[in-house]
Amino acid sequence: MEAAAHFIPEIQLDHVTMEYESDAARVTALQDVSLTIAKGEFVSLLGPSGCGKTTLLRIMADLAEPTGGDLKVAGGSAREARLAQKYGIVFQSPVLYDWRRVKSNITLPLELKGVPRAERNKRAMELLELVGLAKFANHYPWQLSGGMQQRVAIARALAMEPEILLMDEPFSALDEFNRERLNEELLSIWSKVQNTVVFVTHSIPEAIFLSDRVFVLSPHPGRLSAVVDIPLPRPRTKEMRNSEEFFRLIARIRDSFEGGV
Amino acid sequence: MKAQGRYMPVLVWGTALLILWEAVSWYLLEWADVPMAQSKLPYFHKVLAAFGTYGGVLAAESWITFTNAASGFLLGAAAGALLAVLMSASKWMERLAFPYAVASQMIPILGLAPIVFGIVRNEEAARTLIAAYITFFPVALNMLRGLKSVPPAALELMRACAAGPWSVYWKLRFPASLPGLFSGLKIAAPLAVTGAILVELMGASRGIGVIMLRNLYYGPSHVYMFWSTVIAGALLGIASYAIVSGLERIAAPWQPEFRNKGGGR
Amino acid sequence: MESQLVSPVKTAETAMKHPAAKRTAPPRRRARAGAAGRIGLPLGAGVLFIALWELKVFHRLLNLQAYQLPLPSAIVRAMRDNFDILLAYAGYTLTEAVLGMAIGSAAGFIVALAATAWPRWGSGGLLIAASLNAVPIVALAPIMNLWFGSGMGSRIAIVAITTMAAMAINAHKGMNMVDPLALDLMRSYAAGKRQVFRHVRVAGSLPYVFTALKINTTASMIGAIVGEFFVSSRGLGYLLSNSIKVARMPLGWSCIVMAAIAGVLFYLIVERLEKVFIRWHPSQRT
Repeated sequence: MEAAAHFIPEIQLDHVTMEYESDAARVTALQDVSLTIAKGEFVSLLGPSGCGKTTLLRIMADLAEPTGGDLKVAGGSAREARLAQKYGIVFQSPVLYDWRRVKSNITLPLELKGVPRAERNKRAMELLELVGLAKFANHYPWQLSGGMQQRVAIARALAMEPEILLMDEPFSALDEFNRERLNEELLSIWSKVQNTVVFVTHSIPEAIFLSDRVFVLSPHPGRLSAVVDIPLPRPRTKEMRNSEEFFRLIARIRDSFEGGV
Repeated sequence: MKAQGRYMPVLVWGTALLILWEAVSWYLLEWADVPMAQSKLPYFHKVLAAFGTYGGVLAAESWITFTNAASGFLLGAAAGALLAVLMSASKWMERLAFPYAVASQMIPILGLAPIVFGIVRNEEAARTLIAAYITFFPVALNMLRGLKSVPPAALELMRACAAGPWSVYWKLRFPASLPGLFSGLKIAAPLAVTGAILVELMGASRGIGVIMLRNLYYGPSHVYMFWSTVIAGALLGIASYAIVSGLERIAAPWQPEFRNKGGGR
Repeated sequence: MESQLVSPVKTAETAMKHPAAKRTAPPRRRARAGAAGRIGLPLGAGVLFIALWELKVFHRLLNLQAYQLPLPSAIVRAMRDNFDILLAYAGYTLTEAVLGMAIGSAAGFIVALAATAWPRWGSGGLLIAASLNAVPIVALAPIMNLWFGSGMGSRIAIVAITTMAAMAINAHKGMNMVDPLALDLMRSYAAGKRQVFRHVRVAGSLPYVFTALKINTTASMIGAIVGEFFVSSRGLGYLLSNSIKVARMPLGWSCIVMAAIAGVLFYLIVERLEKVFIRWHPSQRT
């Protein structure tokens, strides 16, 4: 059950549907999805490919418009939230600009907002410290490893102090070892920033390790098939990955998938 | 449904340009009283009229230029393709020929037209030769790039099926090189036509270039005929490009640019 | 001391037995041999070709006379005797090419910008640029002469028109080959269209712009020279066509050699600029 005491709804979806035409067939990416995410929560959208989790994230980010249903973010529409720059987004690939050094990749959103130079640089260095890459401020993105580039992308996403951090499978391009390490680093960063995080993944252990709640999505058509509470205490440690509770949760989530892949 | 929408802007642009043309033409002649106004930008409808009456001659002469250029083009393309295959098969061949292929792109190719004509005083042979030369190296370079663009994983798959070298070429490398080949052909086609016309400027007796020069030198009285030869020359260049593009659609229809754009996320 | 040509297997065994021993000689030697082959082979073939030419082998094969196909020695002599005029005319033609290319590339870039900013109507501009490209120079040249007179102006115009299309098409491709995720990110920053252009599209199009510039160097030399074929009193193209007409073939060939050298220099300068401007691109990394 949700901790009702300080539950402030940050993102609210009401019967959201997403359909589109593809080669003369009507595809239902999302069917009747309703959920609420609280302020300060870390939630995961978990499911196999085709379950609509990326579409759902994009709808929340106002990068796609649902064909039906209602969506409220921070009290207003998703569009208002986007225009007020309340989002930070991290994609599967870092999407860093090759022609800018690491530091100026991070200052880009601040430049767009019109923040003066001195302040921009200060903020960029703070963020680089936060993700542990302060030494690489003047490197070019391609000189960094994949994992490091993603950390830069995370720093950039946090540049404008967003209320909501949206992450679309940010670590799936990395190997398992790196991924686990970055999970821990992400939690450490999040504990300092304390915003709302919506994390898309297809990895059950990752979802459990990171989140307060896991939204399980099943495909064909994409729909919400379960919401699983993760009662593990914070801060999460890597020993928890081996606990019985952890494996029980894995089994529970796996069982809650409906339909074929 | 969308096809109409695609051609609309083109039509609008085309019509707008024609109107602009006529307007400027009128302005130069009637309003600004520019000397030799009609030579500089004659009325489009008058040029079109001359094109119509003069059509037979233009067609005949264009045909001569075109056929010479085409035979040279085919010759050069065949030779270029052969060289590309040789270069991809043998590292020695590639090392030998590649620097020259690249260097030849640095030479003002069309500048060689007079020289070729100087060597081979026969105008037909000269047209063919220059078209062949112009086509040879771009085709060789582009087709080589295509032949080499096969992903190593695909080659390994072929090896895993114990495919012989000839099968690898025929079934994998050659089809994969077609887009590159056609890139080269599309670049070379209008240039081959231009080369052929240039040769004629050096002193041939038949061909569209000859007619163009003759009308140019006769001065203002022949201005509409001159402009219609210019249009004929332009049409030849565009036609050569269009023909090669059409062939490309038939020979290599799988390319991304020919697919239907669609499917949202 | 073992011979330097040690087989790789033996070397590996030696290395395993003596882990501290370094394998120095064989890989180095192999690399040097490779480099020699890469330059030596085409160079050798080129020298052979010129030697055969000088010895009139091609003349015998193709049944030509010396006055039709001048010997390399004659060409070199003509170059030496006429060097100052060749140099002066080369400068003249190069000026036409550079100025024309600057104007044409700028115009092409603007067309690409317009086509990207207003896709529906702007792409008409692209189409026109592409059709202009298909128009043979021989059709353009006389018209430009009529419009701009017989001075440098007409050749600059020719070069501008012929280079515009390559730049427009390439720059357009570069501006539109943006990672869709990068555009999404810009959307999430609520960035305006102009900002997207400035920060993402223009910088990303630079590699393509330079490809077009490199293509355009040769095209502009050709445009300048061919333009001079028609009406000109100076320049390499003029000298070339004139020499052929008065049957001074060695001088004509010297013009082409000069033009090729000028063209290569031009290309190398653009390549150097490329290294400066797009240091960050994969093609420029070591």
